[in-house]
Amino acid sequence: MRTLVIIPAYNEEGSIASVIEDIHRNAPSVDIIVINDGSSDHTEEIATQAGARVLTMPYNVGIGGGMQTGYIYAQRMGYDIAVQMDADGQHPAAELPKLIELAGKYDLVIGSRYVEATDYRSPVLRRTGILFFSALVSLVTRQRFTDTTSGFRAAGRKVIDLYADYYPIDYPEVESIVYLKRKGCSITEVRAEMHERKAGRSSITPLKSVYYMIKVTLAVLMSALRFNRTAVSK
Amino acid sequence: MSIYVLSVVIAALFLLSILELVRRQKLKEQYSLLWILFSLILLIISFNVSLVERIAEWLGVKYAPAVLFLFGLLFCFAIILHLTIVITRLSSQVLRLTQEVTIMKEREDLHGQND
Repeated sequence: MRTLVIIPAYNEEGSIASVIEDIHRNAPSVDIIVINDGSSDHTEEIATQAGARVLTMPYNVGIGGGMQTGYIYAQRMGYDIAVQMDADGQHPAAELPKLIELAGKYDLVIGSRYVEATDYRSPVLRRTGILFFSALVSLVTRQRFTDTTSGFRAAGRKVIDLYADYYPIDYPEVESIVYLKRKGCSITEVRAEMHERKAGRSSITPLKSVYYMIKVTLAVLMSALRFNRTAVSK
Repeated sequence: MSIYVLSVVIAALFLLSILELVRRQKLKEQYSLLWILFSLILLIISFNVSLVERIAEWLGVKYAPAVLFLFGLLFCFAIILHLTIVITRLSSQVLRLTQEVTIMKEREDLHGQND
């Protein structure tokens, strides 16, 4: 099984090297591709030095567009499994083997902070948002999800193809689950330990989080209403 | 010069400018259709002002020019909506192109190292 770890990075020079080293230590057989999404710092050089392949976008396309680039790449290069990880060090590579192993059985494996208690503690507001989206997605897909905003995921070939075809542009995590369920994919959650970010800060400000809630809710409802039609016309 | 003559002249000039833009390929035919339709309606109304009054009466609108404003506004909404649809399509196309170029560039670098 050829596995590719996709790490979208926008100005993550402070943490990207340790993320790559962490993966090399815990899962030496996987390939790593860093999607350098128009960073203005030294993300590209540092990631290359740390031993990752780097795809540099000519301008900032946003998290969804960057992630999709990774999936298109995985599809073209014929990878069996693609794992998406954050560049800020939130996702410990020690959990990688568990996700990769389960990706053989399910189309998508989501690393969850809440499927059973982990040491991760999140602020009340964020926790509320996470609970809301978990309830919304569980309702729409009729499958219980505990951590729909988790960006720690392993995808098999079917999902690689589907994500190469369509992936939401911004705040993609929640909607992308509903999209896969609509396409008849099997999805499971697995307990995954997560850290607080090592460097940089969350891209989500109070104003953005209002937009986030409304946009993602609308996207989930619309995605559920699309039934089995292709979401994007080509 | 009365306002009627003036409005006919303006409407005719408007229609001509649209057609000229299409001729010079500054405006695509597909995007010009809404504008041509709009300028034709403008021309018809300018020639036949009582038409607006009849429509106003028929709709039960007391102040006839309000009908003009209403349809003018509706047309603006229609064309703006059309534009945002076009922008949505364009931005997905640009994103896909960016992704393709990014991947091609990496492969080229890879081949460059092998040679």
